[in-house]
Amino acid sequence: MNRILRRSLHSSRAVSQKLTSTSQSEMNHFNSLASSWWDINGPQRILHKMNLLRMDFIQDTVRNNLKLNTTKDEEIYVPGYSLDILPVGIKERIVQDQEFKKDQLLSETKFNVLDVGCGGGILSETISRLPFVNKVTGIDLSVDVLEAAKLHMEKDPILAEKLQYKLSAIEDLPKTDKFDIITMFEVLEHVDYPSKVLLEGLKRLENGGWLFLSTINRDLISWFTTIFMGEHILKIVPIGTHTLEKYINQIEIKNWLEKEPERKSNYKVVDTKGCIYIPAYGWKFTNCPDIGNYFMAIRKM
Amino acid sequence: MFRIIKRFSSQLTKTYQDVVIIGGGPAGLTLLTALKTSPITKNLKCTLIEGTNLDKVRQFNDPPEYYTNRVVSVTPKSIEFMKHIGSWDYIHEDRIKQYDGIIAYDSQDSESRIEFDVSNIGKDMLASMCEVINIQYSLLTKIESLEDDTINIKDNIKVIDIINPVEPDMNHDLNEIDKNTAIPELDWPIVKLSNGESIQTRLLIGADGYNSPVRKFAHIESRGWQYNKFGVVATVKLQFEDFRSVGWQRFLTTGPLAILPLTEDNATIVWSCTPELSDLFLKINEKIFPHLITAAMVLDEVDLNYIYEVLKENPDDFSILKDIEWRLSKFDPLTLEQNYPLPVVEVISNSRARFPLKMSHADTYISSRVALIGDAAHTIHPLAGQGLNMGQSDVSALVEALEKGMQRGMDIGSPLVLENYVSNAWPSNHMLLGVCDKLHKIFSTDFYPIVFARGIGMKSINMIDTVKDFMMKQISGK
Repeated sequence: MNRILRRSLHSSRAVSQKLTSTSQSEMNHFNSLASSWWDINGPQRILHKMNLLRMDFIQDTVRNNLKLNTTKDEEIYVPGYSLDILPVGIKERIVQDQEFKKDQLLSETKFNVLDVGCGGGILSETISRLPFVNKVTGIDLSVDVLEAAKLHMEKDPILAEKLQYKLSAIEDLPKTDKFDIITMFEVLEHVDYPSKVLLEGLKRLENGGWLFLSTINRDLISWFTTIFMGEHILKIVPIGTHTLEKYINQIEIKNWLEKEPERKSNYKVVDTKGCIYIPAYGWKFTNCPDIGNYFMAIRKM
Repeated sequence: MFRIIKRFSSQLTKTYQDVVIIGGGPAGLTLLTALKTSPITKNLKCTLIEGTNLDKVRQFNDPPEYYTNRVVSVTPKSIEFMKHIGSWDYIHEDRIKQYDGIIAYDSQDSESRIEFDVSNIGKDMLASMCEVINIQYSLLTKIESLEDDTINIKDNIKVIDIINPVEPDMNHDLNEIDKNTAIPELDWPIVKLSNGESIQTRLLIGADGYNSPVRKFAHIESRGWQYNKFGVVATVKLQFEDFRSVGWQRFLTTGPLAILPLTEDNATIVWSCTPELSDLFLKINEKIFPHLITAAMVLDEVDLNYIYEVLKENPDDFSILKDIEWRLSKFDPLTLEQNYPLPVVEVISNSRARFPLKMSHADTYISSRVALIGDAAHTIHPLAGQGLNMGQSDVSALVEALEKGMQRGMDIGSPLVLENYVSNAWPSNHMLLGVCDKLHKIFSTDFYPIVFARGIGMKSINMIDTVKDFMMKQISGK
């Protein structure tokens, strides 16, 4: 177990390989999935379904953390207590005002986004379509999957002006490239040095920028749901997608962030949510981020 | 690679559409209004194509004196939705009649009747009678008041063909696709129009009625049956204004006859009947027809059959009026006044028409880049007045799914977005279709055991308020 922990987060020794690089077997696995990546009824259906929840998580986090009143003169009412104790009519009005202001703020926003481990571009495409996103760069190390991503973006002409893909590891991007949103969905459990990758991401955040990630807690339940049921019994995830040793507990990421004073003062975990796949329904948020899959939002303060 | 994409996109930005709606009936116009008034979807580029000239609808600005014969029952839920999208502001409210009950009774047993009274469920109305063109007018006026240049309404234009560029079939020559307006490499449907234009669209909506060409394009199977019945409609005048504000429906074995109130002394009838009878009803002298309606709401079916026979011999046989009067005179006047609708005294000239009755339901409402709404998705027996309302709730469910999809940055043509529409709309529509179909079948017989059973059924439903309240809530859409 100690060895695993060292691998996952505590290891900081320099490596000769690409930090984001994965083993050859991981690479072969994803290359073979390239052709069916966008078949929503194919092997990646569950990933397509999960993407809906990712988008909800990003939207909700960004919206709920907008600063509604920047100067003293503005008067969007944000009470210091729960809105639920107010009468329904009053509550509705306040929420309406707040939502209107959020829409207004977002309409003036133009975020630059980096999608790390974009794969076939499922998230890159959806995040490109958001009105407050200006430009999206999707990077991945699998040639075939990137090719599938590039082919697929031609199916929607509005993507061409917002979205580009690059065959690149995150550490090879210029340090000066900064982003408002960096996403690492289902990435950390596939790379050899997750702490390095995470650090490279954090370094590239604009002030106030967001790093969204999702991965899987390393526990028996995760093994049961993602590997035993998902890959072998229900066969809704291609066999060989997951390796239990590579899973990372959410508390490990939090501890890692707080380990160094500089990291602790610059970055904050704003939200963590568990999620679960229910067959015939889809993905659903849970209140327990310590079990199974989870999403995390880290903000640069 | 990027250069190619750039070239495509520069071509397309001018011409491609996000949503193309085929059909300018209530469902299509409602969808267009809803999309363009939702803060989330209002920037979508939308085109609506209608085969007929919409100036007829616009002219309703100055409505005719008499009611048009296409009148529908609109539930409070549908009205709420049309208020929400802002079109109800433009409705001619003086031509809308709220009614607060329905009295349904059986021709085989006049004691079996159900009286739905809205006060039981704490509502002020059950539903409203409204002309279809009034609804279309309010929607179109709302749309045109938006002065939005991403709305394109093309009326008096027919759809000649719909092409799937990815799966061309033998009849389609891809070279015919105008390269300036469409990209054969893109898997978006291309709609070819009678004016020579072709439009490529991210999402194609079939609001094109029972014979939906869009449904056929999408290879969606629709199942159901013809009832071998026609619905005869007409606008009529009652003896005087009926302040009871209720609808009346009598289940004859040839099909239900309904008299539904309009404002003042006006009313509309829907008479479901056999094809032979429908021929007759359209042919009967328009001075005799009102008395036939009055008789059909009251007399036994043996009497009615005799009257039909006489009129079949001669549709202008005025001697039958004496006969009807004599037969009605056998009823106690007070009972007639209390338990039956007011006599019909006039049929508005040229307001009689008929349409075939059928029940059909599409297996699904979507496929990749296609969604069906309204009659394209389902047709229902008119006996519960749910046709238009089902279309309205389709639109509401579809817009909700599209909004959610937009917020998630999805391509709104993707089945992942459209699936939510089907899972919300299909099951409840299926239940309504089934219930109305069974009602029709139960009441189309004079087979005694069934007459007896349905009599017990109606009387007991009438006594058990919870069941009645449930049915009423269904009718009023709550």
